[in-house]
Amino acid sequence: MIEVHGLSKSFAEPVLRDVSLTVPRGCLFGLVGPGAAGKSVLLKCLVGLVTPDRGAVTVAGETVTGLDELSLQRVRRRFGMLFQNNALFDYLTVGENIAFPLRRMGVTDEAELAERVADRLRAVSLVGFEARMPSGLSGGQKKRVGVARATVTRAEIVLYDEPAAGLDPVTSQKIFDLLRREQRETNATVIMVSSDIDRLLTVTDRVGLMHRGELLFDGTTDEARSSLHPVVKQFIHGEVEGPL
Amino acid sequence: MSTPDEETLSARVGASAFAVAAQVGGVAILTARLARRLFPPRVDGPELLRNLYKMGVRSLPIVGVTALFVGAIMVVQAGVLIRRFGAEGLLGWGAGFATVREVGPILIALMFSGRVGANNTAELATMTVTEQVDALSTLAIDPLSYLILPRVISMVVMLFILTIFGDVLALVGAAYTGQALLGVNVATFWNGLLEAIRVWDLATGLIKSALFGLIIALSSSHYGLTVTGGAPGVGRAVNASVVASATGVFISDYFSTYVLQ
Repeated sequence: MIEVHGLSKSFAEPVLRDVSLTVPRGCLFGLVGPGAAGKSVLLKCLVGLVTPDRGAVTVAGETVTGLDELSLQRVRRRFGMLFQNNALFDYLTVGENIAFPLRRMGVTDEAELAERVADRLRAVSLVGFEARMPSGLSGGQKKRVGVARATVTRAEIVLYDEPAAGLDPVTSQKIFDLLRREQRETNATVIMVSSDIDRLLTVTDRVGLMHRGELLFDGTTDEARSSLHPVVKQFIHGEVEGPL
Repeated sequence: MSTPDEETLSARVGASAFAVAAQVGGVAILTARLARRLFPPRVDGPELLRNLYKMGVRSLPIVGVTALFVGAIMVVQAGVLIRRFGAEGLLGWGAGFATVREVGPILIALMFSGRVGANNTAELATMTVTEQVDALSTLAIDPLSYLILPRVISMVVMLFILTIFGDVLALVGAAYTGQALLGVNVATFWNGLLEAIRVWDLATGLIKSALFGLIIALSSSHYGLTVTGGAPGVGRAVNASVVASATGVFISDYFSTYVLQ
């Protein structure tokens, strides 16, 4: 379970304002909102990449905020994460990128590594891409390799920052279906940030909507669809007229 | 009472002083954090070997060419005086003393900064802005142990070794240039050099080279890790890193020359 209590963070201006949120174990939670709402910063606070000015993050009963670097490493072993920019290591091949988290976890059997890499590449429809370098991939292919790397360890908590950005509609739906399937198989706790609201709502259990650093809505997918909150209503239904 | 122009000037000077202090402080903090990872040593072995090769072996050609010409230039500059006073026997001492104590370490360090330091900043800055450094952290890998410490150790070790290599080539260049331009026998050059140069002179240059390597490594890593502003920020970081490294090399050379007299 992930619990966020009164989280606030400012850089030049406030990006998170008193955000509180609970994501139960095994829940696929969708986090949506317009650009610069603070969604990515919130994800980074959860893994201790950004230190909040106020508030606390608790992961499976352990408070993440205030931990030193070594203790944070222990907590981070629970996580898998896909970054908005994919964050593929550009000096490693596609296969090495996907195998990297496994090697760091101590998997040394080359046959097992190759099998698990091939399995992930099959899942994201990139069979045979093991030897390619990230610089030779399209944006969508990089995204899919990022998804493969984020899911290869079957972590108990997985954070996806825009997993389908830049992908065509068919591939986007495939990625969302894959992530839902993975989540059901592993019962992982997943938080997924996406602007593709229509597809996101087809796979999530709960949805949170952020706007200007505040969490304006937190509820089930059905509650989000029927919400009368003007910002939520406009965003969920893609209306042109409204407060956004 | 100060005029608005004076106030603007003093504000700019103050802001610049704060900016310099912030960068020096940043390098000091990075140094302390790296030092903590040395006791007990937490260095990624494969990364260390990869960087030793990339930074050292692949710098040999540029350092070799630089060193050969440094030796030759020392002789060309000394040639006028050597001829005027007929002091051919002092050519080895003059060229050698200046090369191993001062000119060799400085020029090789500047070449190293331009090639390896700038590349280090560009690589780290690109990794920072594309969230690769954050990705390492989320994979429970300490970026300082995995990325930075191997680079710092490699730069210190390799600049030290490259300076030895460069000193030898510079002296060879000086000896043969002396023979070609001034007619000073190579044996006379080496005799003059070996009679006058002490081990401490050689050690002074090598101690300086290790110090320069440390400054280039810390400066280039600091600017790489603290980059902001996407791709344009990477360019600014490389520029700032090269300037800071060169400035650091000259300032540390001045003080180390006093200390190592």
